[in-house]
Amino acid sequence: METSDRAGSRFGAWYDGHYRKLLFIPLCLFIISIVYIGYFYQQTGDFILRDTSLSGGTSITLQSSTELSNLEEQLQKTIPDVSVRTLTDIQSGETVSYIIESSVASDELKAAVESVLGYQLTEKNSSIEFTGPTLSESFYRQLLSALLISFILMSVVVFVLFRSFIPSFAVIFAVIADIVMPLAVIDYFGIRISGAGIAAFLMLIGYSVDTDILLTSRVLKREGLVNEKIFSAFTTGILMTLTALCAIVPAFFISGLPDSFQQIFLILFLGLSFDILNTWITNASILKWYVERKELK
Amino acid sequence: MNWKIWLLIGCLLAALLIIFPLTFSSGVKIASVAFNSSAAESGLRAGQIITSVDSNSVKSVEDYNQIISKFPLEEKTKLIIGTNEGEFVLFSETAPDITVSDVAYTRIKTGLDLSGGARALVKPEIPVSQTEIQDLIAITSNRLNEFGIIDVSVRAISDLSGENYMLVEIAGSTPAELEQLIGQQGKFEAKIGNETVFIGGEQDITYVARTGDQAGIYSCGLGQDGSQFCSFRFAISLSEAAASRHSTITCQLGYDATNPQYLEKKLDLYLDDKLIDSLFIGRDLKCSKTTQIQISGSGQGVTREAAYDSALANMKKLQTVLITGSLPYKLEIVKIDSISPTLGKEFTENLFLLGVIVFAIVSLIIFIRYRKIKLTLAVILTMFSEAFLTLAVAALLKWNLDAPSIAGIIAGIGTGVNDQIVIIDEALHDVKRSLKERIKSAFFIILGAFFTIIAAMLPLFWAGAGMLKGFAFTTIIGVTIGILITRPAFAEIIKNILKE
Repeated sequence: METSDRAGSRFGAWYDGHYRKLLFIPLCLFIISIVYIGYFYQQTGDFILRDTSLSGGTSITLQSSTELSNLEEQLQKTIPDVSVRTLTDIQSGETVSYIIESSVASDELKAAVESVLGYQLTEKNSSIEFTGPTLSESFYRQLLSALLISFILMSVVVFVLFRSFIPSFAVIFAVIADIVMPLAVIDYFGIRISGAGIAAFLMLIGYSVDTDILLTSRVLKREGLVNEKIFSAFTTGILMTLTALCAIVPAFFISGLPDSFQQIFLILFLGLSFDILNTWITNASILKWYVERKELK
Repeated sequence: MNWKIWLLIGCLLAALLIIFPLTFSSGVKIASVAFNSSAAESGLRAGQIITSVDSNSVKSVEDYNQIISKFPLEEKTKLIIGTNEGEFVLFSETAPDITVSDVAYTRIKTGLDLSGGARALVKPEIPVSQTEIQDLIAITSNRLNEFGIIDVSVRAISDLSGENYMLVEIAGSTPAELEQLIGQQGKFEAKIGNETVFIGGEQDITYVARTGDQAGIYSCGLGQDGSQFCSFRFAISLSEAAASRHSTITCQLGYDATNPQYLEKKLDLYLDDKLIDSLFIGRDLKCSKTTQIQISGSGQGVTREAAYDSALANMKKLQTVLITGSLPYKLEIVKIDSISPTLGKEFTENLFLLGVIVFAIVSLIIFIRYRKIKLTLAVILTMFSEAFLTLAVAALLKWNLDAPSIAGIIAGIGTGVNDQIVIIDEALHDVKRSLKERIKSAFFIILGAFFTIIAAMLPLFWAGAGMLKGFAFTTIIGVTIGILITRPAFAEIIKNILKE
């Protein structure tokens, strides 16, 4: 017990000296993410790559265990903007289904796929989803406004809870970083976002703020040393986040889950991973700074 | 025991009763009955539950298929189908033209993306009011029902920008004609020259023959381009007003120069401003106030069979619009999805598996961290209660659980686990303060998290025509159940465990 206390106090001393410098890590990542998203916007004209439900077009989910290696190539002869993704079973490595997307109408894509496959697409082997360009555009705009409204409402709740500017600002900044950083990763890997994906970002706003509220209320409302309060909040908070992350991971190993579902989980996974950094470095450092300056006065 | 724990137990019992109905009949449910089929004529309807066929009891779809597999037969055979609404007798050489599904054992309803089916979002081309959308829904529902599509939900939705849409959802399968049935304005006009004699709808048309001698395919042949075609005709009755219009207009006509047994102009039938057929008017119909009219049209196909089916489908569509009338404006189908029931079934099974794995992982982590069986069991009980109560609320509100809804339930449980960890840690540490005070400070954090998640999910209710409503709905229900029922009970359980 004594040794761990000593180790704890040694870490405490180091933390006292360096916590402000630690802030540079998330700050650099934040700036890199913002710059990358800006670059992405300049290249593509949008912050994200949208799937057919948000950009208009048809998506066909074809259930087939046979290898169709050049499906995309063959389809591109008639439909240039077609893209094909394969979903594989992680355990067996076998292909389970294909997701074929294009901006054309459903009849056209269906006919093209049927001519390549040589058999009819029926209810038994496929699902077809079509979204018109007008709807997808308004759908996208509205989800973005929902994201903004959700963010504003969350900020209001945080301000009402803590009633002081800097601690509330630290929480809100951590949440912004929790959204921006996963977004940059998703853009980097060229993942197409669906409506469910944007909903996942909203979820992230609600979910990632849990640990920030825990930290801030422990530091501001409890008696005791700042470091002790941060460390005790950390043991609770990291367990919360790790539990959530572990609960999300199996979703990536079970094939044959709805596509929307896996996207929600991927975004939550990225967001919660960055949240560890943003809560325990960004938010904690700003908060410690704030409390110690207040104590000096 | 504390009342908070009793409250949880009471809610769980109520949920049990909501999800699993006490009375359910064993058998198979009729999902759909084909339009104009002998099954429909015998009185079989979607929603009835078949319990026996020819005195063999039917408990599952397999049982039913087993009995029906004797068809087709050489000659017409009597078939007695016993249902929860009495017995129905069919005479046929083929199997009844119905689809059946297993009776649901729970009241939980799954969404289209999990159960399969079709969904279409339709937008009027002009801005319309809420009441106008209600008219559209009435006509569309009527049209789908007349066409024989049952188990369909048609409702209005509006979104953040104030646009009104009509959402059509059909469970189980996707009818081939869906797009035309809902997207088509269905403006039917019968004209002589430029004058309209009658239009579709009950104002002008009092009766439309759909089966029997007065309706059907009467001839097939080879078209000029080499394709096959078949012609249909069916009888309709006109109202008094339409019949006198017919009389006035025909009185002004002379006889055809080359074919004097007919009048000089034809009766042109238009559907959505497109000419579908032109009929000769017999000379004896001049000035007559006839109420009996034959309507005809045709269908084409590569083979004779395809032409026959196409003619039959065209006849059905025309009959439907003649009965239901025209929509007041043109429509645009802005979204149409058809989801394979087989894919959906696989999704549901995998989601269930995922749920079990997540439960196991979370329990394991809690046990590793705290090394206390009782604490772990309390967490498992709470997680289970929240998922179960959320499902019960969804069943009670007849909410269709789609994939986003299920993701919402899991997310709700996730925040629940977070809250439980906060309660345990607050209760275990900072022992200088009383246990009550510590639990109170845990609830400050929990309430804060509760309000932020509500704030974050609320806008999803309206955004994007409510397509992601399910995600917000189950998350909000889950965290609300958490804060009102399971969290207080969990805090009591923890207090009891710590006192020991």
